[in-house]
Amino acid sequence: MFLEIARRSFRRHLTYRAATIAGLTTNVFFGLLRASVLLALLNGQSANGWNASDAVTYVVLTQAIMMFVSIFGWTDLMNAVYRGEIATDLLRPMSLFGFWFAQDVGRAFAALLLRGVTILVISSLIFHIKLPSSVAQFLALLLSMMLALTISFAIRFIYNLAAFWSPDARGFARFASVIGTFASGFLMPLRFFPDWLQQLLNFTPFPHIMNTIIEIYVGSYSGNQLLEALLAQTFWAAFLVVLAQIILAQASKRLVILGG
Amino acid sequence: MVSLRHHLELYSRLLGAQLRSQMQYHVGFVLDLISTMFFTATEFGAFVLVFQRFPSIGGWKLEEVAFLYGMVEVSFGVMDMVFAGFDPPAFAQYIRKGTLDQFLLRPSSLLIQVFGSDFTLRRIGRIALAVGILVYAFNNNQIVWNLEKLLYFPFVILGMILFFGGMFMIGATITFWTVESTEAMNIFTYGGGYLMSYPMNIYSDWLRKIFTFVIPAIFLNYYPALFFLERPDPFGMPYFVHFLAPVVGFLVFFLSVQFWKFGLMHYQSTGN
Repeated sequence: MFLEIARRSFRRHLTYRAATIAGLTTNVFFGLLRASVLLALLNGQSANGWNASDAVTYVVLTQAIMMFVSIFGWTDLMNAVYRGEIATDLLRPMSLFGFWFAQDVGRAFAALLLRGVTILVISSLIFHIKLPSSVAQFLALLLSMMLALTISFAIRFIYNLAAFWSPDARGFARFASVIGTFASGFLMPLRFFPDWLQQLLNFTPFPHIMNTIIEIYVGSYSGNQLLEALLAQTFWAAFLVVLAQIILAQASKRLVILGG
Repeated sequence: MVSLRHHLELYSRLLGAQLRSQMQYHVGFVLDLISTMFFTATEFGAFVLVFQRFPSIGGWKLEEVAFLYGMVEVSFGVMDMVFAGFDPPAFAQYIRKGTLDQFLLRPSSLLIQVFGSDFTLRRIGRIALAVGILVYAFNNNQIVWNLEKLLYFPFVILGMILFFGGMFMIGATITFWTVESTEAMNIFTYGGGYLMSYPMNIYSDWLRKIFTFVIPAIFLNYYPALFFLERPDPFGMPYFVHFLAPVVGFLVFFLSVQFWKFGLMHYQSTGN
């Protein structure tokens, strides 16, 4: 059932093609500006192990996967709570988390196909970007992306649950998206941050939404490091999914549905 | 003929209602203020943190980039607050819900009504932080303030407010036809702001030429900054281009208003 919901959501999202072209133009333009800034900073040199080619690959990749992992504010679930539709969702023969996650997986893969792959192709015409070098690296990348999506979804699910307590939870969504863009490594590569900040951020799940995928893609990790990164991602994914269930259980107790 | 005084009175009444309603929930309002401030803080903060590893960007030091960034943020923040009714995604809602038809039926100026329909006071948070960044830039660049600079400064801010405001109006006008707001407008609004926040010599030639001759954004912030910071012009343009900011801003705004009027003539209601 999970796969069927995901598949239908995927097909529904594939229909937004006109918006995709406008979106792609914007996306490539922002990529161009962000790459210009990083290239000017690097000025032909390397910084903390990254050269110009790594930096450009970083920009293209973040632009390509930002819709997939959906780092910007997401309020669909809280809107369903405010409109009362959540009551129907809770009646379904499937967990609320599973039902919404299936839809999000469908949305994410539609975004990956429409935005992600196209951006990679268009950008590779403009820039020289790196490609994954081995099958193993490619498989690790896919696994890492799925884990990142799980982490991202669980975080979004949790702050949307705030709608059960607060009459206007949109502020939480705004706040979370600001923290997410900074701490996941979307605004600037985490690698270029001071060491103390990188270490601090490693205690949070945010780098695993984006930064880990990028580091695997550019080939920063080898052998054990790769395994460690994937394990850390798995830990955060499991932890946040469980946390989401606990908070959901609390939230459901507060729910009062008025008939009519 | 309805007088200007009437328009201003109407606007201030609409504005008053907006402000009262937005400040009704104190806690929510304060949280909103903090979150808009946070947006600027993380964006510029990320740049400052990364900058520690590098000597300069395109030959510009941090305090010089802070000047560019602060100017854009202050102008964009003020524009975003005043022109909130024209923010394309928000304006698209007016068209979809028929709010615009209500506006059109009322015996008062449409522009004043759209201006008065929203005024995002929470942007004060963002503006305050942007002013802070500008003050930092003023203190660390040792700007020698003479009469010319003092007089020119407000016009540079005004020029950018008019430019970004014009972009919002163009984006809103496009929704007369498309109903949905188009993401491509972000290139000119947020993209324009991003572009102007960094020295123009870091961009490739063709990109800079587009933003010089097609969309003259280079004159809004970069050339004024060269004048205030007394930096040489790397592109060898005539000297007067340093002072084009208000002209470009006003011209773009004027053309946007014409486009808005044109769009309005072709507006057909969505029907419900």
